[in-house]
Amino acid sequence: MQVRNTTARWGSVAQFLHWLIVALIIAQVILALTAEELHGMAKLAMLARHKSVGITIFMLAVVRLVWRLINRTPPLPLTLKPYERFLANFTHAALYGLIFALPITGWIMSSARGFPVSWFNLFQLPDLVAKNRQLYEAMQETHETLAWTLGAVALLHLLAALKHHFVLKDTVLRRMLPFSKIP
Amino acid sequence: MIRYFRLARPLAALAMLLAASAAGAAATSVPTYALDAAKSTLEFAFVQAGAQNKGRFPKVAVNISFADDNLAASHLEVTVDVAALDTGDKERDDTLREEDLFDVAKFPQARFAATQITKTAAGAYEASGSLLLRGVTRALRVPFTLKSATEQGRPVLYMTGKTLIKRLDFGVGQGDWKSTEWVGNEVTVTFNLRLVAAG
Repeated sequence: MQVRNTTARWGSVAQFLHWLIVALIIAQVILALTAEELHGMAKLAMLARHKSVGITIFMLAVVRLVWRLINRTPPLPLTLKPYERFLANFTHAALYGLIFALPITGWIMSSARGFPVSWFNLFQLPDLVAKNRQLYEAMQETHETLAWTLGAVALLHLLAALKHHFVLKDTVLRRMLPFSKIP
Repeated sequence: MIRYFRLARPLAALAMLLAASAAGAAATSVPTYALDAAKSTLEFAFVQAGAQNKGRFPKVAVNISFADDNLAASHLEVTVDVAALDTGDKERDDTLREEDLFDVAKFPQARFAATQITKTAAGAYEASGSLLLRGVTRALRVPFTLKSATEQGRPVLYMTGKTLIKRLDFGVGQGDWKSTEWVGNEVTVTFNLRLVAAG
């Protein structure tokens, strides 16, 4: 498989970033939901991991966006109707936006709460805002709403990929799979 | 009568000696100071999940008498209302007050009492004594600096310093909290006290 993208498929870097971010987002949901049930040190530990993974996603999102901009993008099938084309572009843009917005709102939320963010206990990130209880509460709600939005958009993205594969029988899903052969 | 006359001179001499020694004692008397709570802070800093966090003890009582030229008779005792701790986060403050951490129900106060104050440089001192925290007493040295001033006709001392303590030495952290993975063992305590001469 090629490192860079081609017109036929995504290269290995784009695929790696895509699937790594998928795995990390799933981990994030598990960490966040687990933390809510805990208290004391266990909660502290779970939220610290959630923040570290979130910052990791943010860093990967930057790399991914840069990689996308300096690479060709495999085009959407020409058979798509204009509304499908719009929906696909909109979904992809929303997913990119969300993998930036979620870490940033989480980071602001932590700063506003007065709990600075560290990346896996290795280094401490600067506070984005000063401590502010109201802002914290607003950001917490925003962060949660964005998380549900990401869930909905990702589901749409998944259903579309399955439709391409099983209904339209094109290569749209396979070109993001590392071990599939594309004629 | 004659006998009393004979004693008059020695008595006068003795009186003068006493007066002189009283004056001498005045030079090394040790004035007492009162804490200006509104302009004083006692803070602590700790690492939580890899990040620096801060808190403060807003309720502190300081018992101090101090004279630079009579350190032997100087005295320092600081009592902290632990339950009043404030890290700026109610949830965290409540957790800190619980049995596994400060256990404020059982140990509402912490106290540092200096047994000796020594001068280490111009304006710099070290108080060695003991810290009682969460029922555990351990020796502690607290270096500090003093700046004296006269404000509105009253002598004022500005006392600042910093010392490092290990929370687990005092049992602040039982059960899960014995681990230092998410909350560091080292706690830096800093103080900035404004002390006004009493009376």
